[in-house]
Amino acid sequence: MAYYVNRNVKMTWWEQAYIPEILRGMLITTRHFFKNMFGFIPFFLGKKKEREIFTVYYPEETIDYPVAYRGRPVLALNEHNRPNCVACGLCEIACPAYCIDIIPGANSGKQNEVERYPEAFTIDYAVCIFCGFCEEACPEEAIFMSNDCEISMLDRKKMKYDMEQLLVPVSELKDRIEFTRKMYGKWNY
Amino acid sequence: MDLFSISDDFWIDLGVTLLKIGFMLAVTVGFFAPILTWVERKQSAIMQDRIGANRADIMGFTALGLFHIMADGLKMFTKEDFIPQGANKFLHTLSPIIALVPAILTFAVVPFGGKYELWGYQVNLVISDLDVGLLFVFAIASLATYGYVVAGWSSNNNWSLLGSMRTASQMVSYEVTMGLTIIGVLMVYGTMQLDEIGAAQENFWRWGVFLQPLGFLMFLTASIAENKRIPFDNPEAESELVAGYFTEYSGLKFGMFFMAEFIEMVTIGAIVTILFFGGWHIPFVETQDIIDTFNFSWLGPSFANLIAMGIHVGVFFAKVCFFIFIQMTIRWTLPRFRYDQIMKLGWKILLPLSLVNVVVTGIVIMALK
Repeated sequence: MAYYVNRNVKMTWWEQAYIPEILRGMLITTRHFFKNMFGFIPFFLGKKKEREIFTVYYPEETIDYPVAYRGRPVLALNEHNRPNCVACGLCEIACPAYCIDIIPGANSGKQNEVERYPEAFTIDYAVCIFCGFCEEACPEEAIFMSNDCEISMLDRKKMKYDMEQLLVPVSELKDRIEFTRKMYGKWNY
Repeated sequence: MDLFSISDDFWIDLGVTLLKIGFMLAVTVGFFAPILTWVERKQSAIMQDRIGANRADIMGFTALGLFHIMADGLKMFTKEDFIPQGANKFLHTLSPIIALVPAILTFAVVPFGGKYELWGYQVNLVISDLDVGLLFVFAIASLATYGYVVAGWSSNNNWSLLGSMRTASQMVSYEVTMGLTIIGVLMVYGTMQLDEIGAAQENFWRWGVFLQPLGFLMFLTASIAENKRIPFDNPEAESELVAGYFTEYSGLKFGMFFMAEFIEMVTIGAIVTILFFGGWHIPFVETQDIIDTFNFSWLGPSFANLIAMGIHVGVFFAKVCFFIFIQMTIRWTLPRFRYDQIMKLGWKILLPLSLVNVVVTGIVIMALK
């Protein structure tokens, strides 16, 4: 369906006179100016903020991202201080950017409860596109998108995170785990 | 010629004139030009529910972003002074000066207070009390056009050239309206001396805005168009012409164009205040009232005059600030006109209206006589 724009709008006499409409526009901006002037300028001088400011002083002040936010993927470290990962390689296959690199190892009994464990698990954040497919593919709830997006650094080689850097305790990922269960659970994976 | 043969009056005159020039330069170049860069950023930000410039700090103290003025100035000083290949170097360097000097020069005839009797010496708060003050303002202000046109031409850049062409046509179109608009003011007050026009508006109901309401609106419109600010910023339209006539300018030359624009804003504010908003007068308060109030016997009438002078200068610049605020609000409220719309507004609406204004003013003056 074509979107039709009527360019031949007949302006009323009042609108064609320019001045009243200009004054109306200026009134709106001036109202905003004075509202904000008394709303959030006193806030900088140490008074209570009366009006919501949408601007955040980013490095000093951060907001909580929503659970659906996809930051850098991390590995979950479970209650027994072991990674949930079983080195099945599904995330490696699911990854469209090939940024995940897993070297699986046979379990000698102490690394994990199951047969396989990841000997090495690296994610190259310089390559990662933060799509969240790895999280979706994971059958063991081992890899999650965290809310951490501050991963800029000067050396590209340092963007390659190994196992120790990737592991994050499960307790910090609770919200995201719940969210993934809700989201991906409805597809009966 | 022997220096000592010159009378004392000359030296007093010289000293007072130099003081006035110094004051005017300090206020325009030293105060308004830098502070307006900050005001423009901050006001637009607050108007749009943002916070605005506030990152520059000295020892963690930001002063509401006022240090950005210094930071900007420092940045402009340290930037490379770039002259493009194929540009006319002489004219390229000259044009910012041609643009800036008229903007400052206009203040030579702008009165910022009335006449005061100080210890037997008559002080007239205008640097040069020209008989053709108003004409001088327009003559000098139109000189600035050369700066912009030459800037565009000498840059060897098509964007700049287009910008300067637009400047030329826009300035020419709106100068006609401006000139015809002030004729109404001249007819009402019967003088071209700006300080006399200001002095004639001592009575609140004799203010220009009541005698010439249409003239005021048209004058404000035309002068904003002259200054090339939004909604008339076609010569420097960012989305069409990169930056218009100053595309190829960097460093302090760019800063001079910038400063010229802000000083012109002050000029417009000052001229509008004098012509239409009672100059330095407070509504319903006459100069004699102020002098009488502060005329304590132990200080003498000169001291009362001095206080009146201070109050009047303060009131004048308060009014100028108000008109700068109005201009900024317009700039952040209205979108840019299309080029043909600017020409249409200038030639088809404002010019006939200004002619009508002159005729109606004449008829009313005739009828009242």
